[in-house]
Amino acid sequence: MAGVQVGKRIIGADAPVIVGWENIGRVQGGPIKQFVFTYFQPAMLFAAILFWYYAPNWLAVASTAIAIRLGWTILLLVLEWVNPRYSNWQLTWKEFASDAFYVGLGMTFIGMVDSYIGDGAIIGAVRGAFDWEKFSWFTGLPLLVQALLISMIFDFGQYWMHRAMHNWHPLWLTHAPHHYITQLNVQKGAVGNPVELFLIGLGIGGLFDFLPRAFLLAGAIGMTVGVYQHINVRFNTPRWWRFLFNTTEHHSVHHSQDYQATRSNYSGTWIIWDRIFGTCVDGEAEVLGMEGGRRMDIGETMVFPFREGWRDAKAVLARRFGGGKASQTQLEPAE
Amino acid sequence: MTLPIIDRIWRVRGEVPVDSSLSPKEVFARLDPLLRTGGTALAVEGETLSYAKRNPAAQDKLATFNRGTFRIEPAGAGAVLHFDLFSNALLLCFLAPLLFLGFAQAAITINAWEAAAEASEKSEKKDEEKPKPVRKLNPVDEFLGAPAPEDPNKKKDKDDKDEGRHSPDEAYVLAGLFFVIYLVGRWLEPWLVRRRLRAALANPPIPG
Repeated sequence: MAGVQVGKRIIGADAPVIVGWENIGRVQGGPIKQFVFTYFQPAMLFAAILFWYYAPNWLAVASTAIAIRLGWTILLLVLEWVNPRYSNWQLTWKEFASDAFYVGLGMTFIGMVDSYIGDGAIIGAVRGAFDWEKFSWFTGLPLLVQALLISMIFDFGQYWMHRAMHNWHPLWLTHAPHHYITQLNVQKGAVGNPVELFLIGLGIGGLFDFLPRAFLLAGAIGMTVGVYQHINVRFNTPRWWRFLFNTTEHHSVHHSQDYQATRSNYSGTWIIWDRIFGTCVDGEAEVLGMEGGRRMDIGETMVFPFREGWRDAKAVLARRFGGGKASQTQLEPAE
Repeated sequence: MTLPIIDRIWRVRGEVPVDSSLSPKEVFARLDPLLRTGGTALAVEGETLSYAKRNPAAQDKLATFNRGTFRIEPAGAGAVLHFDLFSNALLLCFLAPLLFLGFAQAAITINAWEAAAEASEKSEKKDEEKPKPVRKLNPVDEFLGAPAPEDPNKKKDKDDKDEGRHSPDEAYVLAGLFFVIYLVGRWLEPWLVRRRLRAALANPPIPG
């Protein structure tokens, strides 16, 4: 495969990737379908912002956010069914059950562990160490400015954590299982090794003091923008949207079987971080996964970082001390 | 080992009619598109075909049933294709509620344990609470009509019970959800298999 030069890199040499916006698919169907799947994403973003901006205090609470999230997920699953991007990515019962298992694990077990060692605990420790009252001028800013700051700062942290995962082998081992998914569906963001889910949750947005409503607004932005990373729905995404925000198109490039393509589009919500730091590749891909699309089951996902880490550590030690008897086959350079 | 009733949890049996003029070889050739996928091992012995799948791809049409046998049997004037399929996925999904009930139990146990530890600590410490500063909205938001933040000091009048660090509720909901997913799968997947087998048997294989 020839591939396309983007900056200094050749994208699409190992697996097909459509580079640029000119040749990506469009929504097929009548004017109503065209209209819905062109304006759905911005309409939902503005609706969510309006809701959390004006909701009375008794309603603007975390449990409302959870209830909305559940209804929202069901709506997106219906959209996947009505207007799939690729029939090849269509959700089956088994895939749905397996995705739901990862989501469930995140809501129960990982949540429990996180409450001791995760960002909540770290934020508590850092807050205790400084006089954060000095930052209280943040809470005087307009709500939407606070929400944008939270969202962008948090995503900036995620961008660098994610980029580090693709560039440093020990971190890559935790992230690799997530790259074995061969199709994008609404819940696929939760698929991965628990260690990774813990690492990616370490944001820096929560360090600052903001009004609770600003947090809910920031969460709403994440929920109505970042959620489209993993989704099998064909949208005619507006130009301004795909300039600012990460989209399913961008993220499918990131999940492509093409090695160079995976080293792009690291952000979760704001693709402008990728544009600023030179890692953005506009386009889309259908053929996803690792090792030619080998599926990784739940059991292997749980042990992969430890198994490979042990194997690699042994190989490194053997190379250094064992007189070069490192016969272990190396994985391809993971970064 | 035969488990006559319990094995219905993960085992699916049934039959679909086949054209009796077809030889077993021809019938199995029509199933080829369903079975010749990555990681699938096939063995044909006369009128019986058995298969086993190792980690089938997400897109594999028979991914739910990781092993099984097909047997052609005479039935009345014609013939039927009898299938007997096994699903690890259905079994694991059936057991998943137990795992989540376990998480719920763990949450309750840890809460109780931490409450006991806290109670012994609290008796030594006095509650020293500073009044929290009352936040105000930015004038822009006041003009646009956003509700003002609550006074954080007022909240305390309701003697809200400390429910502990972990809530078992999510785990209970997930246990229920997986039971529903199991029921749906136990009904849907055999239905889909039957439909796919009928469709495959109705179409002669494309030569080449």
